[in-house]
Amino acid sequence: MVQVEMVDIYIMGKKYVVPASLTIMDALEFAGYQLKRGCGCRAGFCGACATVYRIAGDYELKVGLACGTKVEQDMYLAQIPFFPAVKQVYDLETLAPSNTAIADYYPEIYRCIGCNSCTAVCPQDLKVMQYIAYAQRGDLARCADASFDCIMCGLCASRCPAHIVQYHVAILARRLYARYLLPQAPHLKLRVEEIREGKYDAPLEALMGKDIEELKVLYNSRDIE
Amino acid sequence: MYTHQMMELIKKVEATRPRRKGVDYPRMAPQERQEVLRNFHPDFIADGFRPLKVGVNKGDKVPRELADLIEARSRIANVSLNLEDPTYDVDVLVIGGGGAGAAAALSALGKGADVLLVTKLRFGDANTMMAQGGIQAADKANDSPEIHYLDVIGGGHFTNVPSLVRALVNDAPMVIKWLEELGTFFDKDEQGNMLTAHGGGTSRKRMHAARDYTGAEIMRTLRDEAFNKGIKVIEFCAAVELLLDTEGKAAGAILFNLETEEYLVARAKTVILALGGSGRLHFQGFPTTNHYGATADGLVMGYRAGAKLAFMDTIQYHPTGAAYPPQILGLLVTEKVRGLGATPLNINGEQFVHHLETRDVESAAIIRECSERKLGIPTPTGMVGVWLDCPLIDLIHGEGTIEKQLPAMLRQFARFDVDIRKVPMLIYPALHYQNGGLMIDENGATAIENLYVAGENSGGIHGRNRLMGNSLLDILVFGRRAGWHAGEKCKEVQLKQLSLDHVDNYHRELAQNGVDTAGRVSPMLLPRYTHREALQV
Amino acid sequence: MRYSYYPGCTLKTQAGASLERPALQAARALGIDLVEQEEWQCCGAVFPLATDEIAPFLAAVRSLATARDRGEKLVTLCAACHHVLKRTNHLLQVGSETRDKTNNYLQLEQPYTGEGQVIHYLELLRDELGFDRVAQKVTHPLAGRRIAPYYGCLLLRPAKIMAFDNAEDPRVMEDLLLSLGAEPVDYPYRTECCGVYLSVNNEEIAGSMVRKIVHAALKQGAEAMVNACPLCHYNLLNLQEKTPGGEPLLPVYYFTELLVTALGLPEEVGDKTR
Repeated sequence: MVQVEMVDIYIMGKKYVVPASLTIMDALEFAGYQLKRGCGCRAGFCGACATVYRIAGDYELKVGLACGTKVEQDMYLAQIPFFPAVKQVYDLETLAPSNTAIADYYPEIYRCIGCNSCTAVCPQDLKVMQYIAYAQRGDLARCADASFDCIMCGLCASRCPAHIVQYHVAILARRLYARYLLPQAPHLKLRVEEIREGKYDAPLEALMGKDIEELKVLYNSRDIE
Repeated sequence: MYTHQMMELIKKVEATRPRRKGVDYPRMAPQERQEVLRNFHPDFIADGFRPLKVGVNKGDKVPRELADLIEARSRIANVSLNLEDPTYDVDVLVIGGGGAGAAAALSALGKGADVLLVTKLRFGDANTMMAQGGIQAADKANDSPEIHYLDVIGGGHFTNVPSLVRALVNDAPMVIKWLEELGTFFDKDEQGNMLTAHGGGTSRKRMHAARDYTGAEIMRTLRDEAFNKGIKVIEFCAAVELLLDTEGKAAGAILFNLETEEYLVARAKTVILALGGSGRLHFQGFPTTNHYGATADGLVMGYRAGAKLAFMDTIQYHPTGAAYPPQILGLLVTEKVRGLGATPLNINGEQFVHHLETRDVESAAIIRECSERKLGIPTPTGMVGVWLDCPLIDLIHGEGTIEKQLPAMLRQFARFDVDIRKVPMLIYPALHYQNGGLMIDENGATAIENLYVAGENSGGIHGRNRLMGNSLLDILVFGRRAGWHAGEKCKEVQLKQLSLDHVDNYHRELAQNGVDTAGRVSPMLLPRYTHREALQV
Repeated sequence: MRYSYYPGCTLKTQAGASLERPALQAARALGIDLVEQEEWQCCGAVFPLATDEIAPFLAAVRSLATARDRGEKLVTLCAACHHVLKRTNHLLQVGSETRDKTNNYLQLEQPYTGEGQVIHYLELLRDELGFDRVAQKVTHPLAGRRIAPYYGCLLLRPAKIMAFDNAEDPRVMEDLLLSLGAEPVDYPYRTECCGVYLSVNNEEIAGSMVRKIVHAALKQGAEAMVNACPLCHYNLLNLQEKTPGGEPLLPVYYFTELLVTALGLPEEVGDKTR
């Protein structure tokens, strides 16, 4: 047996000794937790496992996704599995992608004081303050683009002194942009009309009636783009 | 970061790289493919399966780990419940908060039904969120639902249920249109044409994507819409058993508040199961690419209530799950990595299979290399894997290709000090998808009246093998169909008295068939990990 | 000639068509390369007098530092943004608690101490390009047009810090008008406050201030007024008296609208001044 390097971590102040190679999430489980909150896809897509921590002696408050951050010696951590946030309710069908569309629902974006704390905590390295700046000036395209990789973990909102819920602002921008400013796909509209008119009903019916040998011939001789 | 021993082994990879660059490894002959599948694909490992001893599928083989959960005692065996006084009383109960559940809830609501969605984790915590590649739909001029049909059924080795395939391919463009109108941010050109690509087994470029966050983009859009529409959602509230009425029709579920550990009664006129797959059961000890909540709860509950399983003896393994570093064990290494030219190599730095065989063959060949041939690369945690020579990509396509085309991969490995531009990844097949599930018809209905199933929880659409991009599609096609149908059907349902007799009967049947359930309770709800392997060096 | 360019929010929402678009068009025609900063945030629009709070300065300092890093002067177009950026720059130049605090907070790679330069578009024309060069490019002189320049406060005061022009008797817009072939109209109140900060809470007072300004210009025979500030522009247009047809008694333009007209640039921008 080779000696495994172990570190001391403090889960909500309580000390555990865990292998240094583990992620925060694995370390929580190693310590004996069966996770309910604070654990989701375990691959960095879902935003369930936002975690804040400090290393003893260092003033800086750090953040990370528990599934993608390794433990360190003397790490003091707590998960933020839920953060209360205002999500405005709207009917996308009746909105217009105007300069003020976002501000109409989230006027607090103008309370941004430019502290950039949101950007500093984003585990996806998004320029959060900047996409809020785009929202302020009604630039839906850039707000949508700059916020695209958002996993809605809530860390930005947890740190915002202006009480902005950045990720809800962002999803409104993306939905408005994709719905109204990106052109609708012409080929898609056409195909949907064809299907509604029943153009493919008979051919599909015919395919369903074929036996495996017939299908195999068709499948193996199909041309590939 | 790789250990010193692994870095030494990587030197062999580097030594053979110049010789391998640009040389195409021969593809397997049909007979060899069959042979490697039969001998090494986990679906053919007889010991990995056992026949069920009770229920509708008695005698049918399913993975052992699943059989153990199916043949277990109910969580409510000793819980006293007052079925006369339900906590929730709704038209449609949707169980599961992934893409299928969200689509079903929105569709049922559209029919005017009072809808309740419960989910054991957060709304949106699901495999849907993790689907990177894309969603198929035949909506281009050179494509058609018929061509899509052939691709699906050929990919499923002609075992799929034809009426389900028809529904899948026929609804596909409608689903994309629906998503477009909901403001889903698809990749498009300036005219609005969808940017579509090939996926394994497609004969047309019909993979629609939202960068490499396709599933996440769809999920967060549907979730936002569900909130806008005011759908009632209860999170961290698992369903643990279905309720039937005295006529044997579905009539709700017993819920379990994960935090207060209270059991609650939810009465509903129709019930939609959308609980996803089973990767977290780690069949045959495989790591998985699946979400934390993929514990087969829907299969267990549905089966106990009398719904039939289909194709549960076939599981899809993704050939390239991460095998090292241990922090990302099972993490999906997207097929694009091989598409760009990365090749699998053994401990000697030699290729042993063409890098673009079908998923099942590629997986089986990797397993053969590690097991029979003992040419895998051991890791400090006891895991064995093979190299995936990703630095080849930049050599073939020019420096910067990895950074541009695989930013998520680059980032995920870099977090653990592995620079995939410079060193190979270590990979091993991972449990990816449950091809089968509870048998449904075109409306997502099961043989139990008023019980519907949608998404990975269901079976029959994909037969014995699913193509990439058809599962994001199926969750929405059948989520919507189940939602519509359940939303209509509830209007004519007259509920009789609620009953849990089927659970008692099931327990009796277990006893009669001599099944020893000692220590086994299901559904599982949450996996339990200890990561003790981290200490085995 | 290459400059960093800070547009500000108003130009991206309200004043885009009449202030920013012609300004960028004219710059191109005059061979000036204005590169919009890749990232900029709202300047706050009001220069904060309370210096114990550093947050209101941060956006300005980021933009100033970015321009400095690129070795470019920072050009503004909106009078309010110009005011905030220029005064913030000064505050960091002279050395102050604000300088220490903002730098301590921002942790820039190189601390910012006011070494950059902020210039307004009018200063750019006057000092960097020269009005004679502007005059050479004029193809459609505004001959016979009697125009009254209005300055307001933000560009001029505090005089020492803004150092924009003679705060009591500014000439820059007059000189621009001359170079465009127009006839500048001299009138009292052209450097008085228009009262815009009161127009939300007390429209009456703001209205009386506007009417005083407009009447003075009309009395001196002006046919139009020109200005450089979105706030004044809004106020002057909306609070002056209207003709029976609902039109303002005295048309109000941004200087950039006259500029593109005189330069003969595409009509869709400039034609409403004719």
